[in-house]
Amino acid sequence: MADWSECLDVAVDIARRAGQMVSCAVQLEKRVSSKSTPTDLVTEADHQVEELIISTLREKYPTHRFIGEESSAAGVKCELTDSPTWIIDPIDGTCNFVHSFPMVAVSIGFAVRKELEFGVIYHCFDGTLYTARKGHGAFCNGVRLQVSKEKDVSKALILTEIGAKRDSATLDIFLGNMKKILSAPTHGVRIIGSSTLSLCQVASGAAEAYYQYGLHCWDIAAAAVIIREAGGCVMDTTGGPLDLMSRRVVAAGTREIAEYVVKQLQPINYGRDDL
Amino acid sequence: MPDLWQDAMDHAVTLARKAGEIVREALQNDLKIMCKSSSVDLVTKTDQNVEQLIITSVKEKFPEHSFIGEESVAAGEPCVLTENPTWIVDPVDGTTNFVHGYPFVAVSIGFAVNKTLEFGVVYSCIEDKMYTARKGKGAFCNGQPLQVSDQKEINQSIIATEFGSNRDPENVEKIFSSMRKILCLPVHGIRGAGSAAINMCLVAAGCVEAYYEIGIHCWDMAAGAVIVSEAGGVLLDVEGGPFDLMSRRVLAANNKTIGERIVQEVEAFPAVRDDAPVNPIK
Repeated sequence: MADWSECLDVAVDIARRAGQMVSCAVQLEKRVSSKSTPTDLVTEADHQVEELIISTLREKYPTHRFIGEESSAAGVKCELTDSPTWIIDPIDGTCNFVHSFPMVAVSIGFAVRKELEFGVIYHCFDGTLYTARKGHGAFCNGVRLQVSKEKDVSKALILTEIGAKRDSATLDIFLGNMKKILSAPTHGVRIIGSSTLSLCQVASGAAEAYYQYGLHCWDIAAAAVIIREAGGCVMDTTGGPLDLMSRRVVAAGTREIAEYVVKQLQPINYGRDDL
Repeated sequence: MPDLWQDAMDHAVTLARKAGEIVREALQNDLKIMCKSSSVDLVTKTDQNVEQLIITSVKEKFPEHSFIGEESVAAGEPCVLTENPTWIVDPVDGTTNFVHGYPFVAVSIGFAVNKTLEFGVVYSCIEDKMYTARKGKGAFCNGQPLQVSDQKEINQSIIATEFGSNRDPENVEKIFSSMRKILCLPVHGIRGAGSAAINMCLVAAGCVEAYYEIGIHCWDMAAGAVIVSEAGGVLLDVEGGPFDLMSRRVLAANNKTIGERIVQEVEAFPAVRDDAPVNPIK
């Protein structure tokens, strides 16, 4: 059994460096392009940051594999094998980045034999660093994280994101899901534009649950380890086990809240990352 | 002639910072939760303590000034704006966030003379961001000048809003219908941080192009309104008319073009005015 702690230390260092690059870039004029839809954005900084991360890691670990958001957009196949694999989102919250909305993160997850081993998420605006390694706990700037243990949905704060699809049918389902959850009633629903940071808020106990259709494996990978190591659960929107490539997730502090959220959701089909 | 309102504003900043310390300390301790008006509207001991700190300190320094405060109104005080210098205080804006430790919680202090807002202070306690603005003197965050976004294309915009604490099915339907119309335009995204004051400061900082909501109170928006205006933004009623502090409705936008475009999409509903007689809180 290999000890991946050296890889984790490297990931922390590179996430910080990448995060500093992002926080400088956010103050400059951005060149924005669209990906799958007019609201699915990418900038030059996304590419530059991803290239920094991957080239540094490849030099250090030449046999490892990489799944990166911008590599995937460039046509590199998105496939999880048994090889040690780095799963990278260079800028999570690109729309926020473009607008200087202060919720942007660098996310680095690591999997071996398709099992997530550690996750690192760096909040580029305030320097908060979230880390977790399987079996070793989750931390925020060195302080141990614990999810909320709330089981009563009427006391729950729920987080979500609107995906890139904006057609009528998708919006009807998305808003219908949100209305049901809001009307439970819950304490409220928050939308901040970054999946990874929303998931970290669940890990830190600041919110009880997060659900989303339309995110990618690089949005989920690091955060899934962090939430689990903080004592929470991460699952598929059907209530089954998390499938990293399925583009859907429910995460919660308690199974009770997770199962409640699952029951409220009508699915939105975004396809799979590995097809 | 000493600048009285600058002295008052400096005092407001000092108080907001002290209040922020109380909020952060309380976040480390167990909270005692009480319900008012609905299970989603929360008040805690901290909320009341902070408001009391502010009112006591201001009364000592400016004994002739008036107050409108969220907790005072909840305790039965009338909510009426007169010509007298008036402090309009939300001791903890984002009480639901506060109860959860969700990191957007603000102390909001607005100040009006002759019914005109003279300054606003919003302290985002967990982020440690002090937003300030004085009429005619610009808006700042931690001393850095704020400028709204220059975006005029609605399709390139981020819009902030909230679901509010009202769970009346008809109103909930209109809230969701408005959101659907806006998302369909399409816009880049919708955000909701859970605090009206912070949402308004995000407009002022150019991070979102607009914020609209129905059902909030004058203490939620008084300070943020000055900050948006002084950052170069516009304030409107959600139906396009002039902003009315007591109406419980607001649309803050970076410019008129974006503001008027949002007006076209919002399905408005009435809210009981803050200065209405009897003054039930919904």
